[in-house]
Amino acid sequence: MNARRPVLESDFHLEIDRIACDAYGTCAELLPEMIDLDEWGYPIIAAGHVPVHLLDHARRAIDSCPVLALRLAAVDRAKIFPTTGTGWSARPEPRTDRLEGTPPWPPRPASRTAKRGPLPRKGG
Amino acid sequence: MTARLLDGPPPGSGAETLREHRARLGDLPARADRVDLIQTLEASGLLGRGGAGFPVGRKWGSVAGRSGGHAVVLANGAEGEPMSLKDRVLMSTRPHLVIDGVELAAEAVGARRAVLYVGSEHREARAALDRAMRERASDRSRTMPRVSTSIVTPPVSYVAGEESAAVHFVNDGDPRPVTVPPRPFEKGVDGRPTLVQNVESLAHAALIARFGDAWYREAGRGETRGTSLVTISGTRSPGVLEIELGTTIGELAEWSGATGSYGGPVLLGGYFGTWVAGEDAWRMPLDPAELKRNGAAFGAGVVAFLGDDTCGVRATARIMDYMAGSSAAQCGPCVYGLRAIADATARVATGRPRGDDLVRVSGWSQTLSGRGACRMPDGTIGLLRSAMKVFADDFASHQHHRRCVATRAAVGSAS
Repeated sequence: MNARRPVLESDFHLEIDRIACDAYGTCAELLPEMIDLDEWGYPIIAAGHVPVHLLDHARRAIDSCPVLALRLAAVDRAKIFPTTGTGWSARPEPRTDRLEGTPPWPPRPASRTAKRGPLPRKGG
Repeated sequence: MTARLLDGPPPGSGAETLREHRARLGDLPARADRVDLIQTLEASGLLGRGGAGFPVGRKWGSVAGRSGGHAVVLANGAEGEPMSLKDRVLMSTRPHLVIDGVELAAEAVGARRAVLYVGSEHREARAALDRAMRERASDRSRTMPRVSTSIVTPPVSYVAGEESAAVHFVNDGDPRPVTVPPRPFEKGVDGRPTLVQNVESLAHAALIARFGDAWYREAGRGETRGTSLVTISGTRSPGVLEIELGTTIGELAEWSGATGSYGGPVLLGGYFGTWVAGEDAWRMPLDPAELKRNGAAFGAGVVAFLGDDTCGVRATARIMDYMAGSSAAQCGPCVYGLRAIADATARVATGRPRGDDLVRVSGWSQTLSGRGACRMPDGTIGLLRSAMKVFADDFASHQHHRRCVATRAAVGSAS
């Protein structure tokens, strides 16, 4: 992977209910790019926005958690980008789409329902 | 030393009565002068005194903004921090000042219910508040609207004073933190917006309501204005003092008779706090803003001096053990992580280290923070990191040479 290629970030970050979490570890299996397990099996989640190309993996990890401890939470833009509020960290121009739309970068399958194939920029 | 909260009869003479309280401080201001209390508090710069130091005016404002007249005030006097005594001293000696603050808060945020949340071990404080409420119930000259107030006593516990735990206990009898959001100011006691405010903060508010923000700001030496209660230990005369914010650690050492040498290690803020040491630290003003810039925290105002011949590694290991034992046992990283840290630091402290104990402790101090529902792991790890900095040589000496720098003795045999 080209390290200088910008990663498009979504508006979401991962949140975990630490009390509910019971160390099943499925999230780390399904989203190893962002979730590591500590020596007792509890998740260590990468801070920051979930990259757009990992959103589907994140949703799968969330859906498969036996105790439903994981979720995507909207990042409070006003706090992070008080001046621009654009939503892009790599491309700071005003955003023109929502997550439901097709982001301009990086390229991804045209249809969200036909997404089960390998994603174009899967890391790890 | 500037006495404001503790002005009046000396603390040893017990609780101030309603009559004494009125004679000394006068009535609360008339209703017309109370309408801008939230702005006055903002202007005063008063910071919360429960440990987190959140601006009081802003907190009241955010509850008032969503209260709809149905908010709840929870006066937090749990004081589960083992090194702090200041809340129980305040409640025991100035109960009416605390209740004045509760009533003012209830009016300002729009609350009809208030809870005095008093740690069950603080019996004297509870008795003083009980009596103060009875005095008020039979008082005809009151100018404040009535608030339905009850006393709730959580069990002895470090975490029971955490704000979501306090709300949880009042609602369900379970003094353990819950996952937030929603935070108590959004959805707290009875599902209503709840102002959880430390009792000392409320007492300050009762004085600011009477004398104004300009008066409050007259005290203080640096950026953060006003006075604060502090709990001093490890000196010839330990106990609770009221100081001007900005007083230096060195001055406190002098006033209270610290026995160790100048610049010795000091624990600031309690078990969630930080160790500091050195002559620079002793010249450092106890001012929340200044301390924050220096990587320390004022916390709930604990200043504990460690004597010259006391082992900082052992002291830290004991704190880690206490914290591991105080975990509410809900979140894995807290349950397993704090126990692992406590066991490893105990091995290092007592001269039975396993090969990589120090490295592992250092690793955990990086990976555990932010991984609990409450700040239990974060607070504990903050203290641990400061200990590994301040007592770096001592930790290394214990690990590699099994010798204690402070006591100049081999560790492992003596306890």
